Amino acid sequence: MIYVGAASDIPDGEAARVQGEVSIAVFHVDGALYAIDDTCTHQDASLSDGWVEGCAVECPLHAACFDLRTGRPSGPPAKKPVRTHRVVVSDGHVWVEESVGVETSAQPGVPVDAVAEEVA
Amino acid sequence: MSTVEIPGQQSASSLIPTLPGSHYTDAAIFELEQSRIFQSNWFAAARSSDLAKPGSFRKVEVGGESVLLVRGRDRGVRAFLNVCRHRGAQLCVEPEGALRNKIQCPYHAWTYGLDGALIAAPNLNSMADVNRDQLGLHTVSLREWLGTIWICLADEPPSFADTVEAAVTARLGDPAAIDRWAIDTLAVGRRITYDVKANWKLIVENFMECYHCATIHPELTEVLPEFADGYAAQYYVGHGAAFGDGVSGFTVDGSAGFETIAGVDADHDRRYYAITVNPQVFINLVPDHVIFHRMYPVAADRTIVECDWLYPQEVLDSGRDLDRSVELFHRVNQQDFDACERTQPAMSSRAYAAGGVLVPSEHHIGEFRDWVAAAIGH
Repeated sequence: MIYVGAASDIPDGEAARVQGEVSIAVFHVDGALYAIDDTCTHQDASLSDGWVEGCAVECPLHAACFDLRTGRPSGPPAKKPVRTHRVVVSDGHVWVEESVGVETSAQPGVPVDAVAEEVA
Repeated sequence: MSTVEIPGQQSASSLIPTLPGSHYTDAAIFELEQSRIFQSNWFAAARSSDLAKPGSFRKVEVGGESVLLVRGRDRGVRAFLNVCRHRGAQLCVEPEGALRNKIQCPYHAWTYGLDGALIAAPNLNSMADVNRDQLGLHTVSLREWLGTIWICLADEPPSFADTVEAAVTARLGDPAAIDRWAIDTLAVGRRITYDVKANWKLIVENFMECYHCATIHPELTEVLPEFADGYAAQYYVGHGAAFGDGVSGFTVDGSAGFETIAGVDADHDRRYYAITVNPQVFINLVPDHVIFHRMYPVAADRTIVECDWLYPQEVLDSGRDLDRSVELFHRVNQQDFDACERTQPAMSSRAYAAGGVLVPSEHHIGEFRDWVAAAIGH
């Protein structure tokens, strides 16, 4: 597990970036947290610097949009998805479990105020 | 009561000199003016309402620099040099438009927030030693006053109060007087842009005097009969030219205009005030509207003049016809700019090498002449 920080340090609408095997971006959207690979699959740019609208993030460079739940791009210029990662919230602190391999599954948003999540 | 200055009496002779002809034609002089006048002073770049919503932008040329005016997501307006920090491409080439959430260079996609901060660039994350905080767009000093965006390209701008505000106060005689028109609350009812083939100083000098009024402005002189005497409102302090007896409003035929603006009291009603703010702003105040000119010098022999007719929002919402109201000063502008264009070609004649002369009712133009000469060191 990778420690991200206190949930209160990631305001709604903002993102945090942590380093696993690769950079991972953790987004806070409408009270829920999502984690995806931080680097756009189209060109090297940080999605945590992008703009969140609904459950998607827009890459700051070429406006490729990725679904925060599935990592799938909504259309060009990105073709490949980014990986999703499991978010764990416990006692107001946020961790990410980095996915292994290329294929990842959809991750529902984790409520930012979750209290009883099990920390593996 | 008006305080009357009589600069003519300070001068030993009736005729005093203008600038020499070359000051109106010489590209080298114009370059000096660009850096020492237009980059060094506060410059009215746009109307605040031109940037209606977050992402609205306008590109203006000031002192030879291309400047971007952008309204941010926080609704504040900022000014930046229109130059990418990477390889210098112009960021925006359209004169105005709407940005969604970023200012992006179309060349290599260096991407800036609407606040000018560098947000992203291809492969930037692989350049660990690069501090993006040092690579934001170059900002330009900015103030908003009278519903106008004023910028200054100087590293250390002059005091706004001691220059722009002081020029308005010097003409009206009272720092609070301008507030009567609540210019920041007025809306643009009409905008006309004039492309004038004349040096910017000919336009300023023309605007400052009224010696020409009886000759080229029949409609204006009909509304303001005292203009036939040749003394412009700028000749005095705190003096508004009175409407003629049979005149109902500041319109092309003297017919009624709109309701007097709420803050304009009886002393200022039925009068016309004119203010010059060096180097490129003219403001006309009449009871029911304000006419605001911004000049954009393009070359020694070409100046763009953007003129806004400003009215209370209720007047515009009522859908009433603005034509007779706008037509009076539009006609004055055309008459003035025709005169300036007629004068410009003669500025390079050997007949005008040493310049011309100013008659007593024009002697206050001598202060402008000296201000320009001191600024450029000639």
